[in-house]
Amino acid sequence: MWMTINDWIYSVWMSVMQWDWLNDQLRSVLNTLYHTPMGEFMRTSTWGWPLFESLHFTGMSLLAGTIVMFDLRLLGFARAVPVHAMHRLIPVGIAGFLLNMSTGICFICATPDQYLFNAAFRWKVIFITIAGLNVLFFYTRVFRRLESFTLEHQTPPLGARFVGGVSLMSWVGVMTAGRLLTFFRP
Amino acid sequence: MDPFFLWLESWPLGIWLREAVTIWAFPFVLILHTVGLAFMVGVNVAIDVRALGGASGVPLISLRRYYKWMWAGFWVNAVSGVLLLIAYPTKALTNPLFYLKLALIGVGIKLAYVIRGHMLKGEAGAGVAVSPRLRALAATSLLLWVLTITAGRLLAYTCTRLTVDTSCG
Repeated sequence: MWMTINDWIYSVWMSVMQWDWLNDQLRSVLNTLYHTPMGEFMRTSTWGWPLFESLHFTGMSLLAGTIVMFDLRLLGFARAVPVHAMHRLIPVGIAGFLLNMSTGICFICATPDQYLFNAAFRWKVIFITIAGLNVLFFYTRVFRRLESFTLEHQTPPLGARFVGGVSLMSWVGVMTAGRLLTFFRP
Repeated sequence: MDPFFLWLESWPLGIWLREAVTIWAFPFVLILHTVGLAFMVGVNVAIDVRALGGASGVPLISLRRYYKWMWAGFWVNAVSGVLLLIAYPTKALTNPLFYLKLALIGVGIKLAYVIRGHMLKGEAGAGVAVSPRLRALAATSLLLWVLTITAGRLLAYTCTRLTVDTSCG
């Protein structure tokens, strides 16, 4: 099943890339990124890349420690934790996400082709998008009702469990695709 | 030590992990090691951030059940880590940083349980200020996990020998 979806993503990607204008724009953005001082630094420095990777894993841990732990609570785990109060941990996760966007862009600056023509990178972007849409759904539909299920030992409503499950799976998906990047290098 | 490393490298499981052209061999073990890390360090991040005074409406003790997830992450990483070691024994065992990483993990877990002691005594209840001692412990714990992650990541860049017969890089 994964291979079928993978083939489908690839064909969509290839047909989008048939569009010359978009292709040119993308090329010029990546070309600009490649020639930034950051790109130069990441390619030439001995310890730049390993250091940024360590930061990327640290950002991942901040995100996992707050957003994934909050997802577990939404799924009904650790019901003694007041949901609304625990939501205050989320800014730490957002900080982790921003740290990873920044370091991630630095990796792309260094070797754009390694990501642009990489099936694992496309999956990673898709999983981040799903997680993002899920966040949107959470804040527009579920968040307002958080107050009403802070009671201990109460089973969280279906909407909360859905959001928690989707978030948990998409972040594990992001980690999986991220780890596979090296093995799908063009 | 080389005869011992050579013997380890001759294990069929290690050969399969190193050489099989499938994502279910080496890549899959790396994925497990990463997800395990996210859960293990993640639980510590949540508890440490609370113990530093964040999300003060959450009684610290209510987070105690998350230790289960820390141990789940730990065991996933112990097993996947041993598999990575079986795949490239010489790479890890000849690198001093590998032993530093293991020591940091040990201290990190010990610290998580010192913090658990404070937690079970009912410290840092909802809206209650955190003692400076607990704050210091939490800050040290966060720092140690960042160092552990860095040590782990640097293993790929500081090794001198990949296998007995090949050097790194």
